[in-house]
Amino acid sequence: MIKIGIPRALLYFQYYPMWKTFFEELGAEVVVSSPTTQTMLAQGSSRVVTDTCLPVKIFCGHVLSLVNECDYIFIPAIRSVQKRVYNCSKFLGLPDMTRAVIPESPPILDTDIDVNKGRHRLYYAIYQVGRHFTRNPFKVKRAGQAAWQAHLNYRQLMSHQGLTPPQAIGEVSAIPEAEPKTPSDSQASAQTTIALIGHPYLLYDEHINHRFIHRLEQAHCKVLTPEMVTTEELELAIARLVGRASWTYEDEVVGAGEHYLQSGADGVIGIMTFGCGPDSLMMDMVRRQATRLGTTPFMSLTLEEHTAEAGVITRLEAFLDMIQRKKRRQVAVCV
Amino acid sequence: MRLAFPHMGNIYIPIKAIFNGSSIDVVFPPLTSQHTLSLGVKYSPEMACLPFKLTLGNLIEALELGADTVVMPGGAAPCRFGYYHKVQEAILRKLGYNFYMITQDRGIMNMVKHLSNGASLWKVITALRFGLAKLKALDELEQLVHKIRAIERDKGEASRIYREWTRAIDNAADYQALNQAKREHLQKLMNLPTVSSPAPLKIGVTGEFFVVLDPFANMDLEIKLGVEVRRSIFARDLVSFNPFIYAFGLREKDRSHKAATPYLSRHVGGDGRQSVGEKVLHARDWDGLIHLEPFGCLPEITARNIMPSTKEWLPVLNLIYDEHTGKVGIINRLEAFLDMIQRKKRGRVAVCA
Repeated sequence: MIKIGIPRALLYFQYYPMWKTFFEELGAEVVVSSPTTQTMLAQGSSRVVTDTCLPVKIFCGHVLSLVNECDYIFIPAIRSVQKRVYNCSKFLGLPDMTRAVIPESPPILDTDIDVNKGRHRLYYAIYQVGRHFTRNPFKVKRAGQAAWQAHLNYRQLMSHQGLTPPQAIGEVSAIPEAEPKTPSDSQASAQTTIALIGHPYLLYDEHINHRFIHRLEQAHCKVLTPEMVTTEELELAIARLVGRASWTYEDEVVGAGEHYLQSGADGVIGIMTFGCGPDSLMMDMVRRQATRLGTTPFMSLTLEEHTAEAGVITRLEAFLDMIQRKKRRQVAVCV
Repeated sequence: MRLAFPHMGNIYIPIKAIFNGSSIDVVFPPLTSQHTLSLGVKYSPEMACLPFKLTLGNLIEALELGADTVVMPGGAAPCRFGYYHKVQEAILRKLGYNFYMITQDRGIMNMVKHLSNGASLWKVITALRFGLAKLKALDELEQLVHKIRAIERDKGEASRIYREWTRAIDNAADYQALNQAKREHLQKLMNLPTVSSPAPLKIGVTGEFFVVLDPFANMDLEIKLGVEVRRSIFARDLVSFNPFIYAFGLREKDRSHKAATPYLSRHVGGDGRQSVGEKVLHARDWDGLIHLEPFGCLPEITARNIMPSTKEWLPVLNLIYDEHTGKVGIINRLEAFLDMIQRKKRGRVAVCA
């Protein structure tokens, strides 16, 4: 059986159920790299130029860990999933870059996903991937449809039941993800609602963000993430703040940021990495909006390869203290 | 309406020519200076790239001079450039300026309609043609000076004539004056005393558009180099959507894109693919390549990751610019790079003999 390697980094959290269904329908076996470790980060960093962003370094580490584990590595170049809205350059060149920096990697299954090129080109791109397994276009079509259905189910699971992507992935597939706990038990005594905004590969990679969600839950906070907002609400929020989206994953930052600043959260924390081009501007837009509204506290955390957890913890504690004090004061005023 | 544009190298000259005859009052902010940079850095998000900071500084200076409409190109692109205007508008509004921002985000026709201010189509086309003629003259001049600088006997003469010629192009009111300036200065440039040996090094300059084209941003790199500079990025590429220019501008770009295909088969936004392509394309005929980028440039980081893996071999020096102004650091690295190439060349000659 052909083994397809999927790195547990970057777009994994958005599309894994879809990819897994697609390849399994075509009779392949899917191998996922293990959660990020310090070794992966160190190995990945040694391959790319220093000012490459952290998620891409980690991605290279994951690819390196898969080198001897599979026959192909699946790295799509997701250019655009919305009309005239493009992805970051690093995603566009990801297959080419991986090939250049990791010459020993197994053959890379790459394809260009670009909805601007029209329906036909999109279907052909999917068929190009499927062709490695079967010559029968109908079989690829069936696999594609099943994959799309899996993706819709996955999205619905997150937006309707309030699961985070790792929890939802654990739900839809049999892999034991991080901690298979239900969202309710940690939130039973929740007092403060904190919304996290940022790209899934930052929010759910526990190595990058120093178990940020876990820490919030330990502090008895209810955690909201961008996936828990429906697409329509996100689009509405983007339209309110910047008009038209320019980046593919703008809804995770600007959309979710604007949505949570206006409603539903006691505080918003934006997570970005050092040197992230799109985020450097998008997070700034959210920060400006937070200042303008002046109602919901906002904190932006910039992560990089540093391993000093204490810095993250200190800032988180200070932020939570501030919110708690603000809440107490409001209660006092009401009385 | 008082219109303002941010600066990028000499681009203000053709823009001035285009709007000269129209009823629109165009305000030009002072040429980019240290003050501009400080203003830009002060109000920009810290991780925004250098072009963002410089153009923001320009816009602030223009608004201080009383501009009420600013033009900031934008549009959907994978590079951050397409997003600039949204953030810059928010920053400028926060600073309390009242203005209207024209971007191509609201459609190119909307942009043209605003900028033509009710002038007839014929007038618009005539003005555009003259502006483009100036742009072409400037680019040709630059290309010529790139060669002369390497072989002139008295260093700095070519740059002096270049500045004079640029001023003459700026002042030219019609095609005749433009040609007159060309005749005069070409003569001067060609009559400069030159040295014939040793043959100058041929160094390519490529990278991110803005930093390559703006002498303030790249700290006068080309003047400092003192070698024959080969460059295929020119300001006229910027208007390549224009049918008049299309035929000139894109040919070189297409060639380098094709050359890059085995290593980078996709367009990654900005000039990333071209940077890889130029290394591949000119490995035989250039002695070295200098690759410029602002710190954090998305397409160029992708390109820089791919460049070392090409089969075609060419020494490459990466220079990354941000708001720090350590000119000496740049000069040191240029010297070391050129020394290395020179030594390598000498070595090769010795082996041949």
